[in-house]
Amino acid sequence: MSPKVISRLALGAYLLIFFGYLLGPLVVMSLTAFNSSGFPSVSPWACFTFEWFDVLFKDQRILNGIKNSIIIGIGTVIVSIAIGLSAALVLTQVWPKLRTTYYTIIIAPILIPGVVLGISTIVFWDRVSRLLGPSTDALFHNGIFLTILGQSTFIASYAMLIFVARLARFDPGLTEAALDLGATHTQAFRKILLPFMRPAIASAAVLAFLASFENYNTTTFTFGNYPTLTIELAQKVRYGINPSISSLAFIIVVLTVFGALAFEAYRRNTGNKERAKEGKAAPKSGGILPGFLRGNPAAVVLVLLCFTVITAVGTAQSYSPEQCKMDVRAAKQLEIDLRIEALEEKRRLRELGKTHEGPDIFGTPEVESEDKAPSSSGAFGDVFKDLEQGD
Amino acid sequence: MKKPMIFSEFFKNNGPVMGSILMVLVGFWIIVLIVLPQLSMLDFSFRFNLPPAELGGPKDNYTLKNYKQLVYGAAGSEGTYNTVDLMVFVRTIVTAIFVTIANIIMCYPLAYYLGQSKGTSFARLLVVMLIIPYWINEILRAFALRIIFGETGLINEVLTFLHLTAEPIDFIRQNYALYAGLGYAYILLMLFPMYNVIESLDRNQIEAARDMGASWIRIHRRIVIPHAKPGIASGATMVFMLSAGALAVPQVLGGPSSLWFTQLVYQWFNDSLNWQQGSAYAIVLLFSSIAIVLTLMRIFKVNMGDIGK
Repeated sequence: MSPKVISRLALGAYLLIFFGYLLGPLVVMSLTAFNSSGFPSVSPWACFTFEWFDVLFKDQRILNGIKNSIIIGIGTVIVSIAIGLSAALVLTQVWPKLRTTYYTIIIAPILIPGVVLGISTIVFWDRVSRLLGPSTDALFHNGIFLTILGQSTFIASYAMLIFVARLARFDPGLTEAALDLGATHTQAFRKILLPFMRPAIASAAVLAFLASFENYNTTTFTFGNYPTLTIELAQKVRYGINPSISSLAFIIVVLTVFGALAFEAYRRNTGNKERAKEGKAAPKSGGILPGFLRGNPAAVVLVLLCFTVITAVGTAQSYSPEQCKMDVRAAKQLEIDLRIEALEEKRRLRELGKTHEGPDIFGTPEVESEDKAPSSSGAFGDVFKDLEQGD
Repeated sequence: MKKPMIFSEFFKNNGPVMGSILMVLVGFWIIVLIVLPQLSMLDFSFRFNLPPAELGGPKDNYTLKNYKQLVYGAAGSEGTYNTVDLMVFVRTIVTAIFVTIANIIMCYPLAYYLGQSKGTSFARLLVVMLIIPYWINEILRAFALRIIFGETGLINEVLTFLHLTAEPIDFIRQNYALYAGLGYAYILLMLFPMYNVIESLDRNQIEAARDMGASWIRIHRRIVIPHAKPGIASGATMVFMLSAGALAVPQVLGGPSSLWFTQLVYQWFNDSLNWQQGSAYAIVLLFSSIAIVLTLMRIFKVNMGDIGK
């Protein structure tokens, strides 16, 4: 083998391990959502079922958590976008000597542990409410208020980083021109800078919402009477697991895949259009695919995924695993019967052996039968699989 | 903050309305959300845990009691060290350092590969596949690992099936699940900064070095790694701070006997309702992890401005 082949193989193995580590757990978790066994697992596969989704959608605490998460998420997006944008604008104008200090202060919330942010938020507002008297308690001890402020502290830094990157490409001459032509500063901001920043604001809003939605470390100290989805999940994961969490995880995984594919498809589509405009890649005519799918594998996969989900939801409405569950029960019964039969058979053989060849090999079958007992669970699973395939 | 003469210029540049809006928002963030909460937590950590009636009274003094608790244990056991909590602290910091190093080693080849084959559709596919786990909840990712590492989890089932082990291995009690979970949780925060800087490296530099007969190791040591240093530093800082401050992963994947330092903070707050003590522990965590990061940045000659790029 030439060294080139070896290095290719090494690279392939490395990529396989890396992505296995990254995606494998998510795949396994998603699969457990469809196993009817009461503990999330894949290996003793019982029945293919959708019942955990049912359990999930009837779980009042989860639904309430989703509602709180959305309220807090929207609040956090508004606060952190406003702060992040102003901080980025100030950063472009700040006195050069102060720039590093200023940057260190506004980047610090990303590096401060989330636990510390949560604690400092409740401690500080607790003190403020004590200073201002008990009439303010309702606001300053309100879980939504505290969580939005606690999360915005560091999410604003993320938003700020996105805005700084976009502002670096802004031509200040445009604002100056507007001002020279008699626009007020507010008008110049609204008509010139804001439209330029719109894509960055959109991506910062998405990022801020997701960061708020999945935050645990800060929220766990500040949520008060308004547990978010992540808090509810953590409670469930810590104190008693059942596969309805897997089904929620599966939904989140699918939504994320959707999001990633849609984003990639959108980017490719605009990229293709730009290239077409420049005349570099003339669009091939006569393909079966409609225009936005051409030369855009991400879009094709996205459309296929849509179809799969629609079909899956459609079958889920009519699919009932009751038959399979009965089969499993029957299979279990059958297995037990088989084992009883086997034991009886063995006993009979032993007795036959005893009468035919005397007692000297009496021990051997006995040991064998004891050996078999622990491994029975493996055989158990195999029988299931066979039966399921037989169906 | 800015000097007065800077203020006037600032308002001239932005107009009175926009200028004040900007100042108010940034001031609110820095003062009310960042500085004052941290200061009040610091102040809190030096106080006694008093019932509300006695607050502001004669007993409401400053004390070092809460810090003594961490070093020497509860009052009355003076002279002996609080080995339990101190061990948890040391273990947290040391493990976070090892997790960071492991992440650097795991991510560097991939970041280099992606950075060098940018634009190819395979590389783009890989990036899309990387983004997916990035946006899944931390709790759910820990939960996924728990399914795999559990006593009847996938790994144990496979090992038993292959007859590699007779008894299921308790990965959770042995902390393997915790290490895997911490490495898993923040690996992409290491990968993306590294990938961004390596992507900006001019390929010609590598080719020139190769033409002149430099070995692969030498090319990486003299060209790629120096170029990638800000990205590596940025990723390492994030991963270290986040793993040292992680709460979800140790809560889900940690064994019953092994605590993470943030779990001690959590217990003081939510189980013992002793906020002052919890604040003291949080302050210790904050200052020691910042000190470690700043020391390492000094050693490796990285600037603060490189973080977050």
